[in-house]
Amino acid sequence: MTPILEIKKLYKSFGGLEALKDISFTIDRGEIIGLIGPNGAGKTTLFNCVAGIEKPTGGQLVFTNGGRTISIGGKKPEAVTGLGIARTFQNIRLFDNLTVIDNIKIGRHCRTRSIFFGAVIRSKFQQAEEKAITESANQFLEFVGLKGRGQEIASSMPYGDQRRLEIARALATEPHLLMLDEPAAGMNPQESRDLMDLIRRIRDKGLTVLLIEHDMKVVMGVCERVVVINHGEWLAEGLPQEVQNNPKVIEAYLGTGAADAA
Amino acid sequence: MGKFAPPNLTFGAKIRIGLLVFVLILPVLPFVTDYLLHIAILIFLYMILALGLNIVPGFNGLLDLGYVGFYGIGAYTSGLLTYHFGLSYWVIIPLAFINGAIWGILLGVPTLRLTGDYFAIVTFGFSELVVLFLTNEIWLTRGPLGLPGIDVVSIDLTLFGGPKWEFVGELPYYYLAIVMVLVTVFVMYRIQDSRLGRAWFAIRDDEVAAVSCGINLLAYKVIAFAISAAFGAVGGSFFARWMTFLSPDMFKFWESFLILCMIVLGGMGNIWGVMIGAVILVSLSEILREVLPLLGLPLDVRFLAFGIIMVLMMRYRPAGMMPIAAVAAQMRAGRTKRKKAKPVADLKK
Repeated sequence: MTPILEIKKLYKSFGGLEALKDISFTIDRGEIIGLIGPNGAGKTTLFNCVAGIEKPTGGQLVFTNGGRTISIGGKKPEAVTGLGIARTFQNIRLFDNLTVIDNIKIGRHCRTRSIFFGAVIRSKFQQAEEKAITESANQFLEFVGLKGRGQEIASSMPYGDQRRLEIARALATEPHLLMLDEPAAGMNPQESRDLMDLIRRIRDKGLTVLLIEHDMKVVMGVCERVVVINHGEWLAEGLPQEVQNNPKVIEAYLGTGAADAA
Repeated sequence: MGKFAPPNLTFGAKIRIGLLVFVLILPVLPFVTDYLLHIAILIFLYMILALGLNIVPGFNGLLDLGYVGFYGIGAYTSGLLTYHFGLSYWVIIPLAFINGAIWGILLGVPTLRLTGDYFAIVTFGFSELVVLFLTNEIWLTRGPLGLPGIDVVSIDLTLFGGPKWEFVGELPYYYLAIVMVLVTVFVMYRIQDSRLGRAWFAIRDDEVAAVSCGINLLAYKVIAFAISAAFGAVGGSFFARWMTFLSPDMFKFWESFLILCMIVLGGMGNIWGVMIGAVILVSLSEILREVLPLLGLPLDVRFLAFGIIMVLMMRYRPAGMMPIAAVAAQMRAGRTKRKKAKPVADLKK
């Protein structure tokens, strides 16, 4: 089976700083893959390159879905979302002043069509679409465990719930590949366990999950495979236990960079 | 939001219906003169303009200083089409709407890639350009001489063997303006509660998050700008047929600023707030016009008065009289931080 995303010799530099150097790995369909590395390793930059927010300096990103193979390196972020790659952000980026349900409805944007005249005239098509948007938004709300809280203002929710809401919004774009950037950051142990359960349920729906995470309990608990990068370079790859015992990985975390890794 | 539920009216709905009844019977009240009606029409006209402008700063969070350019384009579209071709006003409304939208797109496509203040400067330049064009292209607009003798609005039923009814005096324009305000408000409410409105609010709140939800920033900003411009042009088309005279100095930058003040004063993004802003500033302007000469002050002192009001407003109620949560939060965060609050750079770790 072809992998859903192939990252081939990816380079990204900001001026003189090489944030990513020759990164290559593949993501198989339906797996939960972890991307770890010390702070500043380039994990989020890699995410941004895949999501289209950053343009890679070199290399290829090949996304395969539904028999179509597309090179997505340098594509616009809205186009990438349209192709079926959704993401969450390290520092939560919700639409803070809108209601929870509107946040998810905005996630439905790329799968719906009505614009000005539909909105003003309320054509049959627009009404049906609006009804479908509301229904599916409620389904996603329930899926992440926020049922009945649609009318709250997003920024007024507790931190853990905001994380869930962001995942729900990403799911609402109907992705095939979901990229989560430190979803467990700032969560207590119970919330982390719920999150791991949620990630497994997402995978069971047929999605592929790429996860950046510092919380090793979450990484070891949920990831089937782990890729380690350090200083923008590929360092190791394998099963969580293998990676955990890899001397190079231990050195990257606890060696010279011990202070950063804490 | 904005939905009427006839069986059990909410307090808000009762107020709305009461207000509507009041403005409908206003002309028959004994103390109402033509002068008062004229002011009322002016208020309605500015409501349409302010609601149209509101789309850009209120719904999308972009500062637009060139709105009067579209108002001028609409007015001259209406004036010239009447003057040369004698088109009926009912045909001109959609034409002005489309012409405004076209110019909105023409200006928006290249400039909406700019962010924040840069965009504001370009729009400002555009409105000045419109005034210069209207002043200098004498073959088309008669320049500073102005465009006099534009026909009044009429309802012409002669084609169907009916009568032709010309709008004489302020009264018919008063009701026409009410209808146009109602249509504008209706459109705004519908947009606000639609996929298009949500996309705009997403852009206003967080552009990066909006983009990762699949929203094409440029396309949606251009749509916003075009619709806003279209309403500005419709306002202008009404103005031309109501005043029956146009001159380029009616569309100076000051007008843009006044309309912007209305929406800031009332509460950016809030449909009712924006309309109240129009009521306050237009009436204040008229009151000052009466009061200032009595005090022995020149008329231009009213600009000073507006300035003081805006300063006080920014000091005590920066999000306007009827703030919406989004704007209030942005004001709390500080205007300068507004777009910097969540910059893309933060993502790079």
